[in-house]
Amino acid sequence: MTNSNLMRDHDNSDNPVIRFIGLGETGVKLVETLAMIGLKGVQSHSLDTDNRSLSRCHQSKTLLLGKSIPCGLGAGGDVALARAAVESDRDHILKLVSGADLVFVIAGMGGGTGTEAASFVARLAKETGALVVGVAATPFNCEGSRRCNKAAGGIRDLKQSSDVVFHFSNEEVIQIAGGEISLNNALEIANRHLCESVLGLSRMLIEPGLLNVSFGDLQASMKGRHSLGSTLCVEGVGEDLAADVMKKILSHPAARMGKALSEATTLLVHLSGGENLSLAKINTVIESISLHASANDVIVGASGSGSDNVLQVILVIVQETKSNNFIMDANVSKNLPENEALDLSYPENFMPSGENSYMDLGSDSTGANRVRFAYTPPAPAVETITPEMKDSLLEAAAKQEPNRKKRKEIKQEMLPLEVISKGRFEKSEPTIHKGEDLDQPTYIRRGMMLN
Amino acid sequence: MSDSQIIVGLEIGTSKVCVVVGEVNDNQVANIIGLGQSKSRGVRKGEIVDVSVVEEDVRNAIVEAEHMADVEIQSVFLGVTGSHMRGFNNTGVHPVVSADREINDADIQDVIKNAKAVNLPSDHSVIHVIRQHFRVDGQDGVLNPEGMLGAKIEVDVHVVSGRYNRLQNPIRLVSGLHLQVENIAFNGLASSLATLSTEQKELGSLVIDLGAGTTEYAIYSGGVIKHTGVLAVGGDHVSNDLAYGLKVPLGRAEQLKVDNGSAVIDPESNDRMMDLSSDNIIPGKKVNLKHLQMIMSMRLREIFELIANDIEQAGLIDYLRAGVVLCGGGARTPHITKLAREVFNLPAAIGRSSTVSGIKNALDEPEFSTSIGLIKFGAFQSQAMPKREGLGRAIRKQFVSLFGGRK
Ligand SMILES: Nc1nc2c(ncn2[C@@H]2O[C@H](COP(=O)(O)OP(=O)(O)O)[C@@H](O)[C@H]2O)c(=O)[nH]1
Ligand SMILES: Nc1ncnc2c1ncn2[C@@H]1O[C@H](COP(=O)(O)OP(=O)(O)O)[C@@H](O)[C@H]1O
Ligand SMILES: [Mg+2]
Ligand SMILES: [Mg+2]
Repeated sequence: MTNSNLMRDHDNSDNPVIRFIGLGETGVKLVETLAMIGLKGVQSHSLDTDNRSLSRCHQSKTLLLGKSIPCGLGAGGDVALARAAVESDRDHILKLVSGADLVFVIAGMGGGTGTEAASFVARLAKETGALVVGVAATPFNCEGSRRCNKAAGGIRDLKQSSDVVFHFSNEEVIQIAGGEISLNNALEIANRHLCESVLGLSRMLIEPGLLNVSFGDLQASMKGRHSLGSTLCVEGVGEDLAADVMKKILSHPAARMGKALSEATTLLVHLSGGENLSLAKINTVIESISLHASANDVIVGASGSGSDNVLQVILVIVQETKSNNFIMDANVSKNLPENEALDLSYPENFMPSGENSYMDLGSDSTGANRVRFAYTPPAPAVETITPEMKDSLLEAAAKQEPNRKKRKEIKQEMLPLEVISKGRFEKSEPTIHKGEDLDQPTYIRRGMMLN
Repeated sequence: MSDSQIIVGLEIGTSKVCVVVGEVNDNQVANIIGLGQSKSRGVRKGEIVDVSVVEEDVRNAIVEAEHMADVEIQSVFLGVTGSHMRGFNNTGVHPVVSADREINDADIQDVIKNAKAVNLPSDHSVIHVIRQHFRVDGQDGVLNPEGMLGAKIEVDVHVVSGRYNRLQNPIRLVSGLHLQVENIAFNGLASSLATLSTEQKELGSLVIDLGAGTTEYAIYSGGVIKHTGVLAVGGDHVSNDLAYGLKVPLGRAEQLKVDNGSAVIDPESNDRMMDLSSDNIIPGKKVNLKHLQMIMSMRLREIFELIANDIEQAGLIDYLRAGVVLCGGGARTPHITKLAREVFNLPAAIGRSSTVSGIKNALDEPEFSTSIGLIKFGAFQSQAMPKREGLGRAIRKQFVSLFGGRK
């Protein structure tokens, strides 16, 4: 790690600096998958208290948490240990997140490390001024109420310390796909959606477009909101592209039968089609999305670097939520009409066409289809990576090193929490809870305006 | 008076120093006979920041209590709190070695000793090791394994620990006043002893002590203590938020909180302005009642949410069938039970120190539950001690069965 990380680093394209941080076994798995896909210029870090999960990482940089605490290794579901471990590595983690404009904090909730560390890391990232998106998987109901409750607590914490949380419940997959689905398939669908969320949002910012959804737009719609959200990536094909797009959005598990749309406060939509993407086509799609949404805030971006026959749509949904009723939400989809229940067929390629910064490690990576991303299974176990594969991975990784030219400090668009006098607490040790300074008035931390 | 005993509880709180004198008869029934109080000026977030003023405050409260109870106080049970304190569960295991496999007292002491061997940071020391359940050869829920047959005995315990140095501060201060500290107890534990009935402990309850500098909480279920915690956030934070948000001095904010506060936003008070110019802070100064309530309710809600999170993560939220009991000065906030019901989704009530008798007023004041609970703690201990004579000081001081009544 060079100390250039301490600065806000920008390559010449002025793209926002993005980091992926994975925590705990699930987070590590997802980040490793994301790192293998290899979004240009994005650094990926895998953090866990457990060396076994880190040993499976080849693409992301790893950090074993809690090496220095006497309590030992592996949190084993013990949140107190996990907390001590992550706190002991505060400085190190701060270095990993500083300099970034957008940090994704990715974890599975309900275990130890991810549950406890995610909100802590999110808080640190927020302190550096970054926009923080939490990405969380939550357990199947059959994992038991203890786990589910723990996960609920974890999500709540993460939501409080992030600007937005993209949350996806494993149970939701079962609700939609039915109980017969295998555990592996269910996890794969969940993981795919989670990866898709992260990639979709990142791409929206990085990909050059005709109409850009800028980082500023994203900040304006997320910063300080502590909301829940989701990102969907679909591809419309056929005669009526707009209708096809809409059908796929509504049948997406994360749209929760359109409920997610109707509850959204902000929508960011990015369309990419061919050179001849017409304004009329853009309008039809936006209009049909708006029909299902009550959000008054719809931000649109578009690019025309793709194919004329396919319309790729990335839809970011931001929902203001008061309580964490997402566990119940999982049951909403129980009422799905049988015949509509199953369009779990994710678009095979949610990566842009004609973009060669993505790698395909999927089983069908024969080279023919290289430019397209097919779902990559979770980080392969060490033994399945052949030396050749590893070489090509390394080579590709080397090529992707961002162009580190001279960096300029950019001014943050928004200041972190206004620092106010500690008043009554001047003499005492500050009350820091999971990285949040509780001595600061709650109403200020929660962004309430007194008018 | 030969078979009764005087036990004194001392809480050096952030807002007040409180001394309660109890008389405990040989049936362990406690009766409150004296009370002394003084404003606390040298404590922040439950910990001493100014030794000399705290000495004075403690001395005043002791003198007042001595007068009222007509006793000379020589020793106290001292309540402790602070952000450095931790509560967690541990399990001890011990193989039964005797040839007949009958579990004897030595086995029980050994398994407890094993449970006490917790891996703590070097600067931490154990304050309580409280027995929850025994298991004999994996069989759950054994209350007293003595005389049972088995090869392996396990015990689940709840441990409360704290930073050694920070625990020493109040102990040293009290000793410096020529008062013996018989033992220390975590404030949250003491408050729960004062307010919870046996049924509430059995059904499952959460006790929250809303103090000025700290908020302590304890959970019981199945008759045993399951979880404890402390947040270094309390009524002072509420006042500080108000002072900042309404732009009034801290003292005035405290008064506004007590006079006009509410834990929830009252829709009636829509933008009603209160004129403060009569007290000459700032001529023409007005404050918006709705803002006051919003600031307050957000802080109090956050405190409850932090506790709810912790309990959810400990997997205990489904075990609180008797609901939430609130005590400490913050429990006086209007509509606080409504807020607690909303956040925890459980019944909530203000606690009364109904487990003891005596001066009626004292029992109804939510601020006194810690000190009153310290008397119960002391009573349990003095009962437990003679029986454990010879087992060594550490055990006597640290391992106390708080459930002596459930033999
Ligand atoms: N979506 C998804 N969820 C997972 C996966 N593996 C585990 N989980 C969920 O994540 C939760 C946390 O587990 P884990 O990440 O192993 O915990 P940690 O290592 O202690 O942070 C579990 O309860 C599972 O429900 C996975 O591959 N995908
Ligand atoms: N009527 C009331 N409304 C709101 N808060 C109150 C009221 N009465 C007392 N308090 C608050 O209770 C706190 C004191 O509670 P107490 O249990 O005595 O604290 P400690 O044990 O930390 O000294 C103070 O913050 C005080 O402002
Ligand atoms: Mg793990
Ligand atoms: Mg108190």
